[in-house]
Amino acid sequence: MGEKRDFTDWFTDLLHLKDVPFMGVPDYMFSIEHWLGGIAASALAWQAITGLLLLLYYQPSDAYNSTMAIIRTVPFGSIILSSHLYGAYIMILAVYMHGLHIMFNGGYKKPRGFQWILGVLLFVLTLGISFVGYSLTGDVLATDAVDVGRGILTSLGLQSLIPVFFGNGTELDLFTRLLGWHIIIAAAIILFFVIHFYLAEENGLMPRLKDANYRAPAIISRSDPRIKPWWPRNFIYMVAMAFMVWGLIILIPSILALPSVYPYVPILFSPYPGPSPTSPQAAAVPAYPPWFFLFLYKMADMPLGLRYDMVLSMIVPIIILLIIPAIDRSENLHPMDRPLITALALIGLTWLIELSVWSAIQPGVPVMLLWAALVMLPPLVIIAAGIYVLNRYWLRIRGVVLNGGGAMQQRQGRSWFLSKSAASMLSYITGILAIIVIALSVMLNPITEGPYIGVLWGSALLLLSASIFNYFYVLYM
Amino acid sequence: MPGQQGEGSRDDGLSISRRNFLRALVLVSGAAVVLGMLRGLEYLVPPEVGVSSFPRLLLVAEDGTPIKASKLPVNAQPTIALFPYPLNNEPNFLLNLGDENNQPIEIPPTTVMIPQNGVTYEFPGGVGPSKSIVAFSAICQHLGCEFPELTFYPPGYKAITALGPKDRVLHCSCHGSTFDPYRGGAVVTGPTVRPLPAVVLEWDSSTDELYAVRMIGPVIYGHPGYNTPTPTLTNNPTGDLQGGTPISGSSTTVTTYTNPALSQG
Repeated sequence: MGEKRDFTDWFTDLLHLKDVPFMGVPDYMFSIEHWLGGIAASALAWQAITGLLLLLYYQPSDAYNSTMAIIRTVPFGSIILSSHLYGAYIMILAVYMHGLHIMFNGGYKKPRGFQWILGVLLFVLTLGISFVGYSLTGDVLATDAVDVGRGILTSLGLQSLIPVFFGNGTELDLFTRLLGWHIIIAAAIILFFVIHFYLAEENGLMPRLKDANYRAPAIISRSDPRIKPWWPRNFIYMVAMAFMVWGLIILIPSILALPSVYPYVPILFSPYPGPSPTSPQAAAVPAYPPWFFLFLYKMADMPLGLRYDMVLSMIVPIIILLIIPAIDRSENLHPMDRPLITALALIGLTWLIELSVWSAIQPGVPVMLLWAALVMLPPLVIIAAGIYVLNRYWLRIRGVVLNGGGAMQQRQGRSWFLSKSAASMLSYITGILAIIVIALSVMLNPITEGPYIGVLWGSALLLLSASIFNYFYVLYM
Repeated sequence: MPGQQGEGSRDDGLSISRRNFLRALVLVSGAAVVLGMLRGLEYLVPPEVGVSSFPRLLLVAEDGTPIKASKLPVNAQPTIALFPYPLNNEPNFLLNLGDENNQPIEIPPTTVMIPQNGVTYEFPGGVGPSKSIVAFSAICQHLGCEFPELTFYPPGYKAITALGPKDRVLHCSCHGSTFDPYRGGAVVTGPTVRPLPAVVLEWDSSTDELYAVRMIGPVIYGHPGYNTPTPTLTNNPTGDLQGGTPISGSSTTVTTYTNPALSQG
């Protein structure tokens, strides 16, 4: 066993890991809500790796066929391509959750205003790169998407940008440009992410609200005795988190691509591109955008004219998000002390979900004013009135909750915990299962049995992640 | 995670050795998963393109009309003819060989020896009305230089070879390899250690048309197995069928070029 100690010590010294200038964190931050940005970053890393690999086979001159050839003829190609799609989905979900969590907790307040603005830009770029990415396949949905994209630009009076984004009209220029923009936006996302991360480190990670006394600026002192060094705790937790995210990114589309499952998967969640626009099946596919743009699709059906529909659903929300730090300049951090922002987040989220579901059920059906009012107004009224009433109540109990509530929560938190010996047993079991599962994958054919390998790889990564999390819990919590 | 304060004080003590064993297991598990997934690097190997068997292709001119064997210029004068076979990236010379008076001469079947390993194979000889038409790969077997570096020196036009000035040879100006088209593409002088692969031609005497039907000899330079000319592979060089895009249709186009050997005089 002495050798093992030597190995980790050697590795620590080799990379000067004890000197890494990242901020350590107190124990309570080893919890998912403090790692939502880490989930998005893990997905981003997966996207960069698989995206570069896909460049080896993607041909703008033959977009659809070369995409399908990656799935059908390249070893492990089906895993790389479908995990690139689901990596994007998980990154989008993580970005939404990260942003909402910050919005509810007032994380955009001093000193993190610019960090928030960069985050909003990253959110917009993430949706933009996803639009370009799924257009690259050249399937029937991609063709529709590009046509709709042209129409949206025109409706906003930006038709002069059509050649910039979509080229001079030839098929080859279209896909060459889409590929170029996909890579350019990816580079921009990585650059902005690096600045965003740097600011997070320099501003310090945001402590939980009660540690900041529910007041901005929420800053955790670097001399706080509860902060323990970044190495090895944060590193181990980060590795386990990344493996978990990558495991899900591989596992979910691989399950959907299994021959017994694939025929029943709705096109919105298909792990592979749809039919070619020139094939007979193309007519049977509703002109869906990807699921994360369903809300836009329904907004385009609204009776205000395309220009106002798009301004309301794209431009206005982005502007509101960007100026949130300017709107809410109070020192209060508790969500109930910021009723306007809390109501805004709830209404926005509700509308987003409502419009998306509506769009999935009734794709492309023009909306009458009455319907729009029936769908959009009730949540607005209910949430606004609800927050108003709750706020009145809140102002009466505020002092009690903010001073005594924390202790109450902590008592509840202590009611159950995993014993160290049980956690170490779980770590053994999952670690060994990971080895068995990965060994099974070696027997399968990487071209014809891609989805099965994907299921095993995804499971092995999740098991390994569970093993590391339990190891982390045993040694460091 | 909640409850850590309570835990820290009463660590339900894993001993140091058990902790180290657990760490070793996690490291081994991680290494196994990473190693198992490294197999994914096979993704970098592109799928093979090619055909499964030698196609029978009619030789046609650039305007699509079939080449007439009796009309083929003798000794590649004034132009030299090339056609791809069996894949698009495998050019071959189409030669109507003759004597110093540009009269076609019969090319008899011959046994060709591969200097690399001593393996021999049977070159089937010339076809056409005078049995004078042959076809050889236009990719040098030494390091893969192609026409125009590798070209035919007709009678009276001498290449500078390691054995002195020589005509009636296929000579590569890259590194000086020289082959004898009159004797099945055999090696005249190195540095090459393998003869030029030959295209087996068929002549339809009723229509005067020519067909490429298969290859004989070493695998064409750069295609799978080209540097391991075993007897089996030499008699049926299936490696020629991989590593390029197939020729579509049932014919292959003969293109004519100026022969650089003629201007060197």
